[in-house]
Amino acid sequence: MIPLGSLWLRLLVLVGLGATALLGSRTLLAGAQPAPRRHVVEIKGMAFDPAVLEVTPGDSVVWINRDIVPHTATAKSQWDTGPIAQGGRGVFVSRRRGEITYVCAFHPTMQGRLITR
Amino acid sequence: MTHFPPTKLLGFLLVLAAPIELSAQSGPPDLSDPEVAHVAVTANSIDIELARLAQSRAGNRDVKAFANTMITDHSAVNAQAAALAGRLGVTPKDNAVSQSLLAGAATARAPLEKLRGASFDVAYIDREVAYHQAVLEALDGLLIPTTENAELKKLLVDVRPAIAAHLAHAKQLRSSLPAAQ
Repeated sequence: MIPLGSLWLRLLVLVGLGATALLGSRTLLAGAQPAPRRHVVEIKGMAFDPAVLEVTPGDSVVWINRDIVPHTATAKSQWDTGPIAQGGRGVFVSRRRGEITYVCAFHPTMQGRLITR
Repeated sequence: MTHFPPTKLLGFLLVLAAPIELSAQSGPPDLSDPEVAHVAVTANSIDIELARLAQSRAGNRDVKAFANTMITDHSAVNAQAAALAGRLGVTPKDNAVSQSLLAGAATARAPLEKLRGASFDVAYIDREVAYHQAVLEALDGLLIPTTENAELKKLLVDVRPAIAAHLAHAKQLRSSLPAAQ
């Protein structure tokens, strides 16, 4: 017959091992896929800054409008932040790998490039 | 204050078809800050009014979109100018340059009012190219150098890239339209 105190001790050890394994697997997963990052593109002087941005799938891009006039970040038939007023922000989460040129829908001579690797 | 070179001023006013008379004695205008503010607001308002005409007369979808952008952007600039004037306690003051702008705008608008569709599109965008080119020259040669108040000068400097982008947009649009008849 196993003493009651020893049984509790074994249970505690098992629970501890299980928790360690669970945490370890999470750490491994996190290592395989880094946490999504947030990138900022400023719109100022009628230009996107930076004009070319590299991100990884799951990252978000935030456009901040520093100009007087409203802008958008628009990749035709793909995605569109909609109008961003002075001082406002527009957000897009990039999920698919690839390169795309986007424009301001109001000022099509303004162009930016988003590269998702 | 900085004097505007007579040749530049004449070029600006000629492009805008402004019937201002410059006597040899008076020379080019030496604008005060309230006068510069008035010129800036007038220039924006002229383009807003022409864009409103374009909304009902233009045939091309992109030309209509351009006109909408002109209304939005120039209204935003005028709102900033009004807010700044209020903060500084400045009342924009009418002057000869503003008057010449208005006269030039009326002259340029008259033939456009007779047009519709594709012929309006070409004439309107041609006018927008010339107008924004002239406004850029006025900003660089007259309005920015003449302005003394730092905040008003900064507003004009901040507006300049928008005018340059409008000019580039108008030129891009013009190249996609048929040649003028």
